[in-house]
Amino acid sequence: MTLPYVLRLLCLCGASFFLLHLALGLATVLVTPAAARWAGRMRARQAARFLLVLRLSPAALSALAVAGLCAPSYLLLEPASTHEEVSMWCVVSALLCVMLLAFSAVRCVRAARRSLGYIRYCQMVGRQEHLAGESAPVWVVEGSAPFLVLAGILHPRLIVSRPVVNALPVRQLAAALRHEDAHRMSRDNFKRLLLLLAPDLFPAWRGFAALERVWARFAEWAADDDAVAGDSQRSVSLASALVSVARLGACPQAAPLITSLLADNRDLAERVDRLLRDVPLESGGERKSLAFRVAGVLASGLLLALMAQPATLSSVHGLLECLTH
Amino acid sequence: MEALGPLEITVMEILWLHGDGNVHDVTQYLQRPLAYTTVMTTLDRLYKKGLLERRKAERAFVYHPRFSRAEWEQKRTGEFVAGFLAAPQTSGQMLISCLVDAVGRHDEALLDELERKIRLRRKELARRRKP
Repeated sequence: MTLPYVLRLLCLCGASFFLLHLALGLATVLVTPAAARWAGRMRARQAARFLLVLRLSPAALSALAVAGLCAPSYLLLEPASTHEEVSMWCVVSALLCVMLLAFSAVRCVRAARRSLGYIRYCQMVGRQEHLAGESAPVWVVEGSAPFLVLAGILHPRLIVSRPVVNALPVRQLAAALRHEDAHRMSRDNFKRLLLLLAPDLFPAWRGFAALERVWARFAEWAADDDAVAGDSQRSVSLASALVSVARLGACPQAAPLITSLLADNRDLAERVDRLLRDVPLESGGERKSLAFRVAGVLASGLLLALMAQPATLSSVHGLLECLTH
Repeated sequence: MEALGPLEITVMEILWLHGDGNVHDVTQYLQRPLAYTTVMTTLDRLYKKGLLERRKAERAFVYHPRFSRAEWEQKRTGEFVAGFLAAPQTSGQMLISCLVDAVGRHDEALLDELERKIRLRRKELARRRKP
């Protein structure tokens, strides 16, 4: 297929993104079990951050490589006036890239609309009340379904149903609300949006589902840890709140961009066991985090320096030529 | 898949644990003494039921399981459920209702156990607070 200059650039960028993302994504899927084991040795908050970075890295690195290497090498080294033949593989890869991005965009828009609809419904049928331990008012919804959720991305709101308010004693309710507040502070709903936005390996195939499940588990544990802040009494209150809400019945996950106190009952026993254990005072967490940040900055600097080399751009251009033909 | 008797299950357990074995090997691993011919008949029956494969080595058959334990259990459960669902509608509904009840009972037991742990932890914390 013969394409003009600009369309060829778009086609090559799309194909490069798809192939790079596929390679990095497959590597990520392969290391997921080892990463989950490694994350198990970290503090929950660090583990959640690490797993999120791992999940987003194939898309982020592929986009960086396309924007920083493929596009500049093409613009600088490809003669502007030529019409060239583009191989079928290249066109198919570019189309798959478009499909990947379209699927992610549709998924995001759909999730955002459902969340928005859910919040509007709760605001319509509920009313704001000041509950125990919460300085900001909480939306309380009448009805029989037991739930306590954090909904919204930019301005997350705490929404709780009347059966939960009635069933939980003040301390347990405060602990549960602190748990959801911890999700708000760490912007977990926004992270969920990023996960939906990050493309899959193939259109309509959730290859990263296992990694996302592990992230969700650690995000819950991290919110538990932040909510109790090392206080044993608070830990017991939160554990009791979890069991009480579980006894009320299943907590339906109303929309994908909503964080629920008990989204997954399978994790309940493990969460309660964690909360009832004596929390060991861990040291060196901040140092490790700083080391990770320094390593990240150094790696980014090295990558940028490498990108700026003329030899790198000409090598990339050679690879693009191979992809084109 | 036909149901297995107690001796057949014991023999299968031995072969799942140790891999290959002839009649003599299986007899050695049995916890109670059994006649050579009884074990031989049992192994032959399991072979005919399609659960074992065998090859001849030095005038004796060496048996090994055709399925892993997990595969066998999955197959058995699948056939059991399929049998129920193939029956008139009430059987299928009864099975699903029993499963829901069983899961509910399991959940209740789990929540009771978690509440017991929480009570113990509360007592422990109260003890620690006392001088």
